[in-house]
Amino acid sequence: MKKLDIVLPPESVTNEAIAQRLYQAVTSGLESGHVKRKKLVWLELNGCSGNIISLLNGFQPDFEYAITQMVDIVYSNSMMVEDGEKAINRLFELAEGDEDFILGIEGAVALKNEGMYHLVGNRNGQPVTGLQAAKMLGEKASSVIAIGACAVDGGPSAARPNLSQSVGLQTVLDNREIIKLPGCPVHPDWFLGTLAHLLLYGQPELDQQQRPKMFYSDLLHDRCPRRPYFDKGVFSETLGEPYCLFKLGCRGPVTRIDCPTRQWNGHVNWPIGASTCIGCAQSGFPDRMAPFISYNTTRE
Amino acid sequence: MSGRKRIVINPVTRLSGFLELDVTVEDNAVADAKTKGVMFRGFEQMMVGRSPFDAIYLTQRICGICSTAHSVASSTALEDALGVEVTEQGRYIRDIIHCCEFLQNHLRHFYQYTLPDFVKMPPEYPLFTSDNNDYRIPKEINDSLADHYFESLNYSRLAHQMLAVLGGKAPHNHGVFVGGFTTPPDAEKIIHIKSILDKISNFIENKMIPDTYTVAKYYPELFHLGGGPGNLMSYGAFNNYKELGTLYTDPLVYINRKTEAFDSKYIEEKIHYSWYKGNETSRPFDEIQAPDMDKEDAYTFVKAPRYKGVPMEVGPLARLWLSGEYRNGISAMDRTIARSLEAKKIAVIMKVLIDQIIPGTHVQKRWQVPEKAQGAGLVETTRGALGHWVKIENNLISFYQIITPSAWDFSASDESSKGTAELALMHTPLKDVENPVELGRILRSFDPCMSCATHVYRPGKEVKSIKVF
Repeated sequence: MKKLDIVLPPESVTNEAIAQRLYQAVTSGLESGHVKRKKLVWLELNGCSGNIISLLNGFQPDFEYAITQMVDIVYSNSMMVEDGEKAINRLFELAEGDEDFILGIEGAVALKNEGMYHLVGNRNGQPVTGLQAAKMLGEKASSVIAIGACAVDGGPSAARPNLSQSVGLQTVLDNREIIKLPGCPVHPDWFLGTLAHLLLYGQPELDQQQRPKMFYSDLLHDRCPRRPYFDKGVFSETLGEPYCLFKLGCRGPVTRIDCPTRQWNGHVNWPIGASTCIGCAQSGFPDRMAPFISYNTTRE
Repeated sequence: MSGRKRIVINPVTRLSGFLELDVTVEDNAVADAKTKGVMFRGFEQMMVGRSPFDAIYLTQRICGICSTAHSVASSTALEDALGVEVTEQGRYIRDIIHCCEFLQNHLRHFYQYTLPDFVKMPPEYPLFTSDNNDYRIPKEINDSLADHYFESLNYSRLAHQMLAVLGGKAPHNHGVFVGGFTTPPDAEKIIHIKSILDKISNFIENKMIPDTYTVAKYYPELFHLGGGPGNLMSYGAFNNYKELGTLYTDPLVYINRKTEAFDSKYIEEKIHYSWYKGNETSRPFDEIQAPDMDKEDAYTFVKAPRYKGVPMEVGPLARLWLSGEYRNGISAMDRTIARSLEAKKIAVIMKVLIDQIIPGTHVQKRWQVPEKAQGAGLVETTRGALGHWVKIENNLISFYQIITPSAWDFSASDESSKGTAELALMHTPLKDVENPVELGRILRSFDPCMSCATHVYRPGKEVKSIKVF
């Protein structure tokens, strides 16, 4: 250990002081070019682009912290200033170069007509399909994160009759390990927490469906504040009542996600605070979770 | 061919969804322009065979930045089909939830999508680097606007927080439903959103509107660019409340410099330059045309919605113009100014509506779906006029039609006219054809949402390739 690294009194050793020194070390490292923020490509494929909007809803950390302190976002269709060929070239430079980057993908991969149902850009007069971009970057990235229901297993973009033949990312990157963050959209904490884990501690622990256990372990139903009503058999007859929503079609009993304890949009509310859970973080959403609301049946 | 050049921009970034711009430039001015949607999912077909209630949740997935709009249009169409008369409390709270989305959207569209066309953002972050060499705002003012880019993030996410307080979460809320809304708010929730609204209103008045006029001051030529057809339309926004009357604008159109009442019977969709075959012209409830991607002249999957046969502009400028509150002009810069002024207007409307809430009012019932019915939901949303048309058979959805605001603003040409944004681009002089910054500035003034405009696909004959060039 070099002498300079040893911290001795009167140097402060409080957490704040250490954090401050680390922050200064990283900042000066970044400024001198000695330390580089890791690059992140945020690729929007066939979907609603709602996951990047959800990312903007992050509070701690927020988007500003994410792009100034955590990663260099080098590509984002929704957010980047550059456009046209200069934008799309960034993807090819990464695919053809040696630089390390993390790939986050939202939206499904449209397979129909060899991917022509979803173009991400145009290069040298040729269309660049989402399919092409996903494969080319997915094979190269140091880590791949599937962000949201569509990227994980097709989601709403692949809802029947699935005319665009949309599929989840794994289908086109079959040998690649992909961290999967289902949800419609992803909660900003699920993505930023996963990203932080990758940057600070390496890959987070994943379950059998490659979802980080830190977010996707508990059954919503087991943590639901309305669970006592379920146990006593007190059920809501209409939406807007404060009792268990099971008989209106709530998918909480089959959905593993931390919504009840985490809550959304600055931790103020969650779907069951308004209506039923529609199972958007569960595989097979939406088709296998439908119908979302039912009045005429006790159970499907 | 000297002096003639083709410019293809794809992706056009800083918008929701995917848009390709294809222009021909002659003597440094736009001689031809095509706007093309380049993604397809097929939401209308997806709705067929589903429970009608599921449309309220599933159509929101058309668009991540304006999902609430689809829940409002969808629930309104279902109320029409189910014969449900929504109560005033039901309307108030649904409209408040919708206001939250207007605010979120206008803030983000101005600061995150529009501003970087005019303000040089800190270049140490690759997200912000660009070859745009037409930044004119003096450094000190420029940097303060760039600071507001970051400051605004707090207010747009607070707008979504208000939405979540009433609607569970955002994007893709759970609170809008048949009858207006699902769970009645209590006093704590009401004061929660009131206190946030106060902060957002201050930001809009003290930062967003002055920032907009700063941009306008340094880029005055945009008051003369990006005009478009000059026809404006609104289905009616925050109007016709039983006790409050009209808080914004009634259903009106402005055609040939004359304002007249809107009538939905004049809405039609044309397909001559779109990849569909069938009747050249159809009404929203008609049978839907099959696709034909081999059509020689076709270049986009966005159809060509028309009102009385002509292309219309929809959105904040149309609404403010029709309500008589802003009549400076119809241009790219007027559109951007209108959006910021409308943000203030929406905050005021929202405050009025919040003051009408009677806490704890339960509006939900066990809604009955008829065996057979049809209904339409025509509403004003962030980007303008949005219509959902639904038919029900055997208690399930049998037909669904959606015409989005961006389908109006980014419509294809028809046999007699180009689409709205295409017209806005025509004849635009370009200072530097290698760096045609004017094109993006004009396009973004419409706040394009191509996730919405290109949700449509109909099954049919496949093609081997799409000719892009």
